[in-house]
Amino acid sequence: MIQDVNVKALKKNAFRQSKVRGETASRVRVPGGLVSAKSMARIVEIAEEFGNGEIFLTNRQGVEIPGIRLEDVPKVNALLQQIIEDTQINQEDTAHGYLASGTRNVVACPGKRLCPFGCYDTTAFAQRMDHEIFPNNRHVKVAFTGCSNDCAHVALNDFGIIGMTEPQYDPTRCIGCGQCVNWCQRRSVSALRLVNDKVVRDEDRCIGCGVCVVYCPTRAWTRSPEHYFRLKIMGRTGKQNPRLAEDWLRWVDEDSIVKIVKNTYAFIEEYINPDAPEGKEHIGYIVDRVGFDEFCKWVLKDVELPEKCERATRVYWGGKRYDRENDLR
Amino acid sequence: MSSQTVQSNPYVPFPSRVLEVVRHTKKEYTFRMAFSGDVRPGQFFEVSVPKFGEAPISVSGIVPGESVDLTIRRVGRVTNEMFDTYAGQTLLLRGPYGNGFDVSRYVDGECVVVAGGTGVSPVRGVIEALAQSATPADKHVIVGFRSPDDMLFRKDLERWDKALDLTLTVDGAPEGYAGNVGLVTKYIPDLPLRDPSTAQAVVVGPPPMMHFTVLGLLSRGFAEKNIWVSQERKMCCGLGKCGHCRIGEKYVCLDGPVFNYTESKDMLD
Amino acid sequence: MGYVLDKEGLNRTLDALSEDFLLYAPVRKVGEGRFTDVDVVRYDFVRSVDDIELDAKSDYSFKEILTPLSQTLFYFTEDEVHEAGGLGAPGSPAGTADDRPVIVFLRACDLHAVRRLDQMYLGNGPTDTFYARIRDRVRFALLGCDHAFASCFCLDMGTNVAPEGWLFSLDRAGEGFACSVADDALAPAFAANAQGEKDVTPAHVTENEVHVRVPSKVPNSIYKDPLWDEYDSRCIECGRCCIVCPTCTCFTMQDVFYTDNGRVGERRRVQASCMIDGYTDVAGGASYRKKAGERMRFKVLHKVWDFRQRFGYDMCVGCGRCDDVCPEYISFAAIVNKLTDACECEEAKDE
Repeated sequence: MIQDVNVKALKKNAFRQSKVRGETASRVRVPGGLVSAKSMARIVEIAEEFGNGEIFLTNRQGVEIPGIRLEDVPKVNALLQQIIEDTQINQEDTAHGYLASGTRNVVACPGKRLCPFGCYDTTAFAQRMDHEIFPNNRHVKVAFTGCSNDCAHVALNDFGIIGMTEPQYDPTRCIGCGQCVNWCQRRSVSALRLVNDKVVRDEDRCIGCGVCVVYCPTRAWTRSPEHYFRLKIMGRTGKQNPRLAEDWLRWVDEDSIVKIVKNTYAFIEEYINPDAPEGKEHIGYIVDRVGFDEFCKWVLKDVELPEKCERATRVYWGGKRYDRENDLR
Repeated sequence: MSSQTVQSNPYVPFPSRVLEVVRHTKKEYTFRMAFSGDVRPGQFFEVSVPKFGEAPISVSGIVPGESVDLTIRRVGRVTNEMFDTYAGQTLLLRGPYGNGFDVSRYVDGECVVVAGGTGVSPVRGVIEALAQSATPADKHVIVGFRSPDDMLFRKDLERWDKALDLTLTVDGAPEGYAGNVGLVTKYIPDLPLRDPSTAQAVVVGPPPMMHFTVLGLLSRGFAEKNIWVSQERKMCCGLGKCGHCRIGEKYVCLDGPVFNYTESKDMLD
Repeated sequence: MGYVLDKEGLNRTLDALSEDFLLYAPVRKVGEGRFTDVDVVRYDFVRSVDDIELDAKSDYSFKEILTPLSQTLFYFTEDEVHEAGGLGAPGSPAGTADDRPVIVFLRACDLHAVRRLDQMYLGNGPTDTFYARIRDRVRFALLGCDHAFASCFCLDMGTNVAPEGWLFSLDRAGEGFACSVADDALAPAFAANAQGEKDVTPAHVTENEVHVRVPSKVPNSIYKDPLWDEYDSRCIECGRCCIVCPTCTCFTMQDVFYTDNGRVGERRRVQASCMIDGYTDVAGGASYRKKAGERMRFKVLHKVWDFRQRFGYDMCVGCGRCDDVCPEYISFAAIVNKLTDACECEEAKDE
């Protein structure tokens, strides 16, 4: 049998190049990590009919179906179509499965749908973000987490979005029981203290996690009607200089975040290293090369940050430079 | 209900002049406050202590028609306050509250008073009456403090020692201390009583001390109905409202703080 | 006299009542619950029936108007004490001396709870002036219950039928409303805006999913019964059960000092809970009931035993709010049943 496969096209089509000759794995995109039971059943069917009967759950909340024969790719794409439609993935051409793989699955923790600490609907925002940025071949990682606990590890992404609420305090409902103060200290950042048996919040220290609201027995603390976000940028894993994303914007709104992430693609097109292997370069390395100000200029195009938003004019990242020295002393 | 509002507001405190301040220990002071109303030993006032707030304080002495003594411990926010400077100023008081001791019950026959620590305050008036009774030899008082430094009412103790059968003891003391060392319960078996079954007893102090003292008295043959205890509880109102002092169906501020043992034995926290 | 009203008619009636009364009712506070985008239903002043949450049980009870969560009682200066003025009701802006009487919309169980509040604040020792002052201005409107909510146990507590003392009732009737007006003085306001007159009986609950048996005798041995032990670890001592309870009355005094010498400031009282740390702390440093299980015992026995010993009837009215609010899924109803089982077991032993 002649096997003549365009591997680059295969990869863009969201199939992994397997080390097993003649096999591939289908990468099912699941924005926000939420998939219907029906689609899950179809994934199972594909795995049983065309794969090796196993399903791999990926680090970024996607699903991989390994053991698929390369010649079965068109048939698998045909079966994936219902899943793609069910998960509402953008697609101009409905005959060939996923149209890109560069922009990675958008990750989200369960958020407010399940978690008592979730400050917003992470799933919905992740799905919206996926709609805005996919399909695209550029290597961009976006992740959403409901609160500052960062269970979704957004600090390892190019864009990490953390939910915030601005606690609203009604002193007439406060009995001075001190539970918010106690729990803020034990679970968060010690931003609260009792003064004359009422609570004072250190607005600079407060990270908007909402722990005070969760523990208040009287509804003296409530959440702001607005959902706010902290945007961390340019975190990454990898061989050269893995590092955590750092805070750039606080108390920012959803629409601004969407615009910023979308604007990033033009910045990448302009400045990506033309020699980058497979056209993949972590955005952070581009920012390191061309400067943070230039990045800001591009991504803040047509963005009007709300008045409440705090923006770091300088951002400093840490992380070890393994490409410069690699010892443990 | 509409007539309620014309009644005077029981929460409104009245100003009372501090006539004298006596310092007992590093922490404890007695304030002699101007007060001319009726009051009995064992009753208490809600006292507004500046920088601390209101606290229920037992009456530790009474000069009828003139003054009441209130023994206050410096705690919390007032740790560094020099209470000595309060003489001549006024404090806000409410009260007296509670039933207090019926002293006439104790002065005639045999009587034992066992008091621990600040528990001496509410029974000071009782002991005073026993000391002045016709039969002081039948009156036995055991007073215990944590250490020699914690002793309250030293001058009174000296007087009482001469007037009646006083046993003064401390839980612990530095080496070389000449007085009694040991818990108050240690002295109960040796109390020289003619007929414990008819003797009266008053017990005031920390809960474990009261518990074991009462057990000691019962084993000496005291009748439950002749044992009287005073309960200390948090009280924010003294008026049967705030709930903090409730034990079972009883409110210490209204029904106590002095309870007969037949009642208090069923009052479980 | 009973009236049938459409929504517009009812709102015109409420407008007319608002000439003479403030209206205080359960309100859905959107997004003000514990969790993101979760509502809470609690009491507030309203103007129209659109403001009133008629279909859900209020998470917090009406008692906040009678015993505010936080209430300033006095301002004190170097030599004098001034009583704080005003209704002291939550939500009424300071300085607005609106002294109209208030109509509180509540359900049958809560109207039974008023008797418990009165018992403590008007009885049990001298009258509480601050309570009486508000109480004098409070009237009631009965919200009918055509069904029980999931955690209600009003039948077993005997509180499913409202006692007397309400001015008028309010029930949904098809698209509109039905009101029984007990107070003749208010009848014209209804008559003028009604679609028609009709005999109206406020709906009341006739069936509960939850059943509770209260103990008929509690032996002292129950205090040490192991039934309380599980709450040492299960209960987090947050006190929500007491805060939402329409019959819990405890409060704590707080003094606030404006000056360094502590002689100028204000005194307020705030609602307290016997479940929360510090409830029993005395100045000397001692405290009672340190374990959560002991606190649970203290609270539960009060509701279904101690109060009855003192006043002749049970404190708990079976509204089930404590069960609804507990973040640890501790059910008061379940504890009462366990308690009663344990009491009966002890009694059987004695026989």
